[in-house]
Amino acid sequence: MSLALLMSGCAVTSTDSGDDGSTGSDELGGSITIACGAMEDWCQAMTTAFTAETGVQANFVRLSSGETVARLDAARDNPEFDVWHGGPVDGFGAARDAGLLEAYDSPNAAAIPDKYKDADHYWTGVYVGALGFCSNTKVLDELGVDVPESWEDLLDPKLKGQISTAHPSPSGTAFTTLWTQVTRLGGEEEGLEYMKKMHNNVLQYSKSGTAPGQIAGRGEVAVGLVFSHDCVKYQEEGLTDLTVSFPKEGTGYEIGGVALVKGSKNKTAAQAYIDWTLTAEAQNIGPTVGSYQVLTNPDAAVDDRMVKLEDVEFVDYDFVAAAAAKPGLTARFDAEIAAQPKE
Amino acid sequence: MSTTLPTRTEQDAEKPTGELVLRDVEKSFGVGENRVTAVDHINLTVKPGEFVTLLGPSGCGKTTTLRMIAGFESPTSGSVLLDGEDMLRLTPDRRPMAMVFQSYALFPHMTVFDNVAYGLKLRKVPAKQLKEEVGFALASMGLTALADRAPNQLSGGQQQRVALARAMVVKPKVLLFDEPLSNLDAKLRVQMRLEIRRLQRLLGISSVYVTHDQDEAMSLSDRIVVMRSGRIEQVGTPDEIYRTPESVFVADFIGRANFLDVTEASTSSREGHADITVLGQRMSARAHRDAVAAPESVLLVRPEAIRVRRFAEGDDKVAGNHGRVLNAVFYGESVEYEIETEVGTIVAVVSDPVYDEIVPVGDLVGISFDPERAWLLPAAS
Amino acid sequence: MTISNATVPRARRFSLRSRETPLDLTTRIAVVLVVLILGVLIVLPLVNILSSAVSEQGLAVFNSIFSSVNLQVLQNTVVLGVLVGAIGTVIGFLLAYVQVRLDFRGKKLLHLLALLPIVSPPFAVATAVITLFGRSGIITRDLLGITPTLYGLPGLTIVLSLSFFPAAYMNMLGLMRSLDPSLDEAAASIGANKWRTFVTVTLPMLVPGFASSFLLLFVEAIADLANPLVIGGDFTVLSSRAYIAITGEYNVGAGAAYSLVLLLPGLLVFLIQRYWATRKSVVSVTGKPAGRPAVITSIPARIVLLTLSGLLALLIVTIYATVIVGGFVKILGINNEFDLSHYRYVLSGIGSDAMITTTALALIATPIAGVLGLVIAWLITRKLRRGRALIDFLGMLGLAVPGTVLGIGYALTFNKPLGFGNVAILPALAGGGAVLGGAIAIVMVYVIRSSPSGQRSGVAALQQIDVAIDEASASLGASGVTTFRKVTLPLIRPALLSGLIYAFARSMTTLSPIIFITTPQTKIMTSQILSEVDAGRFGNAFAYCTILIVIVMSVIGLLNLFVRDSSVPKAAGLSSATIN
Ligand SMILES: Nc1ncnc2c1ncn2[C@@H]1O[C@H](COP(=O)(O)OP(=O)(O)O)[C@@H](O)[C@H]1O
Ligand SMILES: [Mg+2]
Repeated sequence: MSLALLMSGCAVTSTDSGDDGSTGSDELGGSITIACGAMEDWCQAMTTAFTAETGVQANFVRLSSGETVARLDAARDNPEFDVWHGGPVDGFGAARDAGLLEAYDSPNAAAIPDKYKDADHYWTGVYVGALGFCSNTKVLDELGVDVPESWEDLLDPKLKGQISTAHPSPSGTAFTTLWTQVTRLGGEEEGLEYMKKMHNNVLQYSKSGTAPGQIAGRGEVAVGLVFSHDCVKYQEEGLTDLTVSFPKEGTGYEIGGVALVKGSKNKTAAQAYIDWTLTAEAQNIGPTVGSYQVLTNPDAAVDDRMVKLEDVEFVDYDFVAAAAAKPGLTARFDAEIAAQPKE
Repeated sequence: MSTTLPTRTEQDAEKPTGELVLRDVEKSFGVGENRVTAVDHINLTVKPGEFVTLLGPSGCGKTTTLRMIAGFESPTSGSVLLDGEDMLRLTPDRRPMAMVFQSYALFPHMTVFDNVAYGLKLRKVPAKQLKEEVGFALASMGLTALADRAPNQLSGGQQQRVALARAMVVKPKVLLFDEPLSNLDAKLRVQMRLEIRRLQRLLGISSVYVTHDQDEAMSLSDRIVVMRSGRIEQVGTPDEIYRTPESVFVADFIGRANFLDVTEASTSSREGHADITVLGQRMSARAHRDAVAAPESVLLVRPEAIRVRRFAEGDDKVAGNHGRVLNAVFYGESVEYEIETEVGTIVAVVSDPVYDEIVPVGDLVGISFDPERAWLLPAAS
Repeated sequence: MTISNATVPRARRFSLRSRETPLDLTTRIAVVLVVLILGVLIVLPLVNILSSAVSEQGLAVFNSIFSSVNLQVLQNTVVLGVLVGAIGTVIGFLLAYVQVRLDFRGKKLLHLLALLPIVSPPFAVATAVITLFGRSGIITRDLLGITPTLYGLPGLTIVLSLSFFPAAYMNMLGLMRSLDPSLDEAAASIGANKWRTFVTVTLPMLVPGFASSFLLLFVEAIADLANPLVIGGDFTVLSSRAYIAITGEYNVGAGAAYSLVLLLPGLLVFLIQRYWATRKSVVSVTGKPAGRPAVITSIPARIVLLTLSGLLALLIVTIYATVIVGGFVKILGINNEFDLSHYRYVLSGIGSDAMITTTALALIATPIAGVLGLVIAWLITRKLRRGRALIDFLGMLGLAVPGTVLGIGYALTFNKPLGFGNVAILPALAGGGAVLGGAIAIVMVYVIRSSPSGQRSGVAALQQIDVAIDEASASLGASGVTTFRKVTLPLIRPALLSGLIYAFARSMTTLSPIIFITTPQTKIMTSQILSEVDAGRFGNAFAYCTILIVIVMSVIGLLNLFVRDSSVPKAAGLSSATIN
């Protein structure tokens, strides 16, 4: 035991910290490793295309946001990743606050609207997803309920036990739902008040953000609260009873980001990768593998299955305020709502 | 079972070996409050070829002693020597000894043949010789036909024979037995102990045998070591132990005993005797060397030394010379009486009784004994 | 007995020489090696991560552990552990009892079915159970017209009991096959009827088996993560709480703190079991063998036992059939059209890479884990007196620690070279930058995750073998190593085999620690399955699971051939809980 303690305290310090991690040459080459926060096939398609284009070997490991932050943190002294691509930017914010990212203002970022970028250039948005209702039309028919069009529709007593949403603590999606209520109704108390009312209709708060879409797709509940592109994805995969709708009072959204990992061993290639992800050409790969998020590059192609941002009402979502409020709000949700019995 | 084991060891042994010496051996378990001295400084020499039995009540330290000889326990202090060589330096597998276990400890995954061959294989005995020696060992135990069986296809007696053959076939200098017969039924037990004795004599291997069964000890041993609470009470031949026990404990533990109160004891003019007054009579009896000096002494009279006759009308009624029959059991070769007397209940065994002459329960009998067959002992402290 | 005062100083004079039975060189080397290996494989990563539990956020968790929310989580965890431990043990016992004490057709098949859940890839059983018995389940809604909610404790209990009971089954089977039937017979001959014999003789003999099965299942149940995530619903347990803290709240310190709390119930059960098992001696292979256990002929008993086991078998068949069928249809339960595209997807590209890498790494880890577990078992049952509880516990830690925490511990510890000052002892083993693409760390995780099962089955087997058998071998001249090789090993071969089988199956199905140490070079099947489930491609997930099951079953078959030794007399009557 004492030996173990000794050793754990004495990790060998790397001696090559002199150069700032770049290979020192402007020539593109070598390889980079991406922490990829989107779907497996999306990651696969992106890295393959980049390699084909530049000759830089791009590898990826698919990880959720939390897993990525934990891994970046664990390997802080000897980073194994160069770029973080895909996944909601609240995770990017946490990584930035923990000093795991390096600011990079890509020349291509100029094309991206400001609301999809970090003010300090730690991350840049590559896609946007809108929170929506993922409903199973068959179940709704059986219940005699129309496809929900507003947040108020979700409070219909006929939907008792027929709504699936995730818990806002583990799930970014569910936190988006919660923060949307806070924004929409004008305060934490009001937001929680709404969630409390919806609580009676919620079957259970799952751990995974995308699970509600599947649960609805299997007909176990009528409505799942997920990002609309996830719902479309499940439709495409064969859960054909699903249909997407949006609340008319306004909904929340997520931004999927890309960022440079601090201490990247191949910074030139990593930056080239980031530059590339912001191009229309790169972003157009998404829809080819069934990912129908809205793309941030205005020149990127628009697919029918994507949300038309102009058709959907959005709340004025403040990512910074949301991140700051998250710990306190989720803890209150845990104690005041999730733990309470349903009527 | 009349086949005999090859007598090679006898020929090999120009000078007999296998002298086992325990010198001041002590074994304690636990520490502090819980410290138990299981074996308390014992000294013992087993002569080459001798069969020595450790006998005593359960928990007196017999097994512990045996396991220290084998090397499964190490003594807290003292030494164990075999032919002058220090055994304590050696792990059990290096000691030229073999042990037979109460539970047989046969290897369940090996056939009878492989069980017996195990030790020889370890000694790298060439295949041909191995087959021969195992064959002889099996034959001598009447196991030849069972060579290919698995242990669980054998009866208890057969299993025990395999265990014996397995230990003997390696021709150890010392054989160790820990109550090997206690799992067998009474008849088999008697048969097996004759078998063990015959083979041990034949092979001439020094043996230490642990038992709590006095009959077993008596019938097997050259010498018996009677143990009590971790100490040796007496070492002697079965005859010595029986006729001239060192203590009331030994006398009581081996065979059955009547102890008569002695009121007066003084040195006799006869060698090894004392003049005593017992049951109101003055007599000269064989005596333990410390008996006279002891503050109190008792006279040991074995049941078979008591003479019983019908009490005739008009006989003198002196305390102790008569009693009433409480119980009489006819065994065929003997009859056993329990007789209530003024000095307590006395057990007597009369051999070769004529059935008609057995004194019925409730009758008065006269009792007497030959002082030459009695033994004066210091009373138990 | 009098210990005179005079002997006391004497004893003290000799106390320098006095010792417990001395350890031979081999044993000492083994102890040092085992301690070293456990030190690197589990203690070091744990110390690293637990030191972050002593951080501010970690301490906050400890402070709030008695808040009502956290107490609820703690209570949920214990309730789940106890339920799964009890139910799984009962199922295992029932099937083992039927296997040993009943003669019927299809006995062998029942044996195989009872072992099938050893291979339960993450999500497979849970997803199949939801598909079959959920609110819109094929059986529940479509056949029975009921809509039960499985998410939460009921579903978790069902899925975990079904996934973990084979450990109890194997344990009990080995024990019952080697029980001395003469005891039953003795009880019967003194007039006890069958039921009383069962209650007063058979059951007490099995107490250590019950205890160790319960412990194993309890620990596995509370450390499991995948199922609480998939089917846990609102029901939060410590392992999922720790996972949420790390991945949802970006708070490794808090996650580590929850995991530390998670070790407590495990530790408690472990201590109770140790206490219990050491008080009851269960030596049954004494080398004084007896015959075969009596067969039960009572008709009512047969009907009850066979019906129960038949139903269980049916349940297992249905669940695994669902998994298999699920790989061949579009979306099981929704669109049951025949479809080969899942296999096409899985067998090409990433899928086959993952298959080969995972199998290769698991194959490397299996013998190491098997031997490690066995050596630990040997040390703690045969060789060590002092310190054996500690080694036993350290050996079991790999199972008791939630995979998430283990994974992060590995990432923290092995991402960089390890050593004193600037002298590296070990190069970086985990992560993309490590030697062999981080494969070594994955093998290490497999080893530490799966050696506990070898250890437990080894302990159970060794405890049954009378020490006198070892001593008989030593007394005939065999050294410790020879005795182990020629006597102990053959006797515990069934345990070794089951240890290896477990090690392999567990390695192939480990997920949560892997998430933190997979690299682009080492794609692991379980994390591929996770991706497919996330993406809603259940067909692909089921196809992966089926392939995984096929791989494990084939390797088990090969292991059986490999580890079997034909020199054993057929009638040796030892348990052979093997999959043929
Ligand atoms: N391993 C041990 N630990 C503690 N005490 C022991 C141990 N082995 C034996 N003893 C104690 O030593 C004494 C002698 O035991 P043992 O040699 O087995 O007696 P026997 O064989 O004469 O019946 C007993 O009091 C027993 O409890
Ligand atoms: Mg004994």
